[in-house]
Amino acid sequence: MSAPDDQQPAEATETAPAEEAHPGHASTRPAAPSVPSPPVPQPPAPQPTASRSLAPVPGGAAGWLADRLGWDGIEAGLGKHRAPRRSFFFYLGGITLFLLLVQVASGILLVLYYRPDPAHARESVEQIIGEIPYGDLIRAVHVWASDLFVACLLAHMFTVIARRSFRPPQELTWLSGLAALIGGIGLAFTGAILPWTEVAYTQARVGSQLAGRTPFIGEWLRRFLRGGEEVTIGTLGHAYGFHVAVLPATLTLIVALHLFFLFRKPVVRADAGDQETMPLYPDFIVHQAAAQTGVLVVIMTLAIFAERPLGPAANAAQSTPLGSVPPWYMLPIHAIVRDAPRELLGIDGPRFLIGATCVLGVVVAALPFIDRRGSKITSWLAWFALAALLLLAVHALE
Amino acid sequence: MASNDDPNNVPRRDVLGAAVGGSAAAFALAVVYPVARFVEPPSRPSGGPTMVGKLEEFPLDGAKMVMVDDRPVLVFRLQDGQVRAFSALCTHLQCVVAFSAERRQIECPCHRGVYSMDGQNIDGPPPRPLDELLVTVNEGSVIVTAAR
Repeated sequence: MSAPDDQQPAEATETAPAEEAHPGHASTRPAAPSVPSPPVPQPPAPQPTASRSLAPVPGGAAGWLADRLGWDGIEAGLGKHRAPRRSFFFYLGGITLFLLLVQVASGILLVLYYRPDPAHARESVEQIIGEIPYGDLIRAVHVWASDLFVACLLAHMFTVIARRSFRPPQELTWLSGLAALIGGIGLAFTGAILPWTEVAYTQARVGSQLAGRTPFIGEWLRRFLRGGEEVTIGTLGHAYGFHVAVLPATLTLIVALHLFFLFRKPVVRADAGDQETMPLYPDFIVHQAAAQTGVLVVIMTLAIFAERPLGPAANAAQSTPLGSVPPWYMLPIHAIVRDAPRELLGIDGPRFLIGATCVLGVVVAALPFIDRRGSKITSWLAWFALAALLLLAVHALE
Repeated sequence: MASNDDPNNVPRRDVLGAAVGGSAAAFALAVVYPVARFVEPPSRPSGGPTMVGKLEEFPLDGAKMVMVDDRPVLVFRLQDGQVRAFSALCTHLQCVVAFSAERRQIECPCHRGVYSMDGQNIDGPPPRPLDELLVTVNEGSVIVTAAR
């Protein structure tokens, strides 16, 4: 005989946390006996720790600011979220955002002295390094933060694929993250052109020519990146405008959307237990701040002790220096375009490569829609791709 | 007066919605199109013939790099007195090539492409020969004409 409906609520109340975690189990629960039995003492179900308030006490400047900001509401909103307790990967997003902020701050300072024309660009960077107080430090911080930013963006994307965190309902978080990756690489590409050195000139020429092999929009893209037919002052002007205005503004918007989507559909469930998770606020945010402090120490150490030489000035009437290689994140592509056959399947080698990269990009972007359950094969493919890219990068340097 | 249930009757709200949506789309287009055209650089016609120097400035049986229409050009002055000019942009990915006097060939330093002295691609990834430009020598002046 099945249990009468009026006896269900008492048991349902006791098992509420478990049911929330596994809602599908509710229907398989055995029916309660019709004769009431004495209550059996149950150990209390583990409850996630509530976030602790750091709100300032009322009164005083801090209290006034908290009132005007609506701090209670912000705290309550953050308090609903949790983060993994022991996962380094979960810090990568915050570190990447921090590196973007370091670049913005140091970049704003560099703009005060940089001159975006071929005749004076390198000279102005030289002046920043040699004459402006702490100019060498600010420039080195900017350059190192840029490299680490791209590295963290790529690592962040890789870990999201390998851990299959792109699964629904994370579609928009994933897509906005990919948009941020494209914007970040654009930021690095345009920034590397600005010193107008030999390396910068070659990168502008080869990068835009490679982009010119993109299916359908290639020719337009090449001219757009160059600011004309050739690599000239127009190229530097375009790179400068995009590096200091268009891309930072776009990236800010994309990152804001990324965070909004992440908060809208959190990766970690709000009812996850204390064993594996901790409150996002203040615990995780404090941990994140500590990690970012460590990153800042790394950047400063690199900026002070690892020199980033400027290189000779660009001269369009000189051949490209022997053994020129692109930035490290382009090394796998360099290895392929250097050693691949002239034609693949009857298509010009670089055109085939860029076309294949575009197709792969579309597949990666569509991952949450293709692999909705997060197959382990996707994870293995990510590791395989990482190994292949590393091997290609090493090969490019041979 | 037409009733809302009449399938031929388009409700006023829908008409207004379509009008507002259409106006918004037209407004967006009116903003985006000029911006898109503005950021697209204009095409410049070729600068025509360019005097790149006096004949004696070019080493006999050697090559010299000059600029023609913002493009690097390799000008060869051969033993037989002939002067030839090739675009110095590798046909692979447009690295600027160099003439190796030692190996008597043109080399791309980026991706190991190799061309013969008459611009033919002989090794590496370049898919076709270097572009040759028209050269004339007029009263001792070397004039190169770029073709776009």
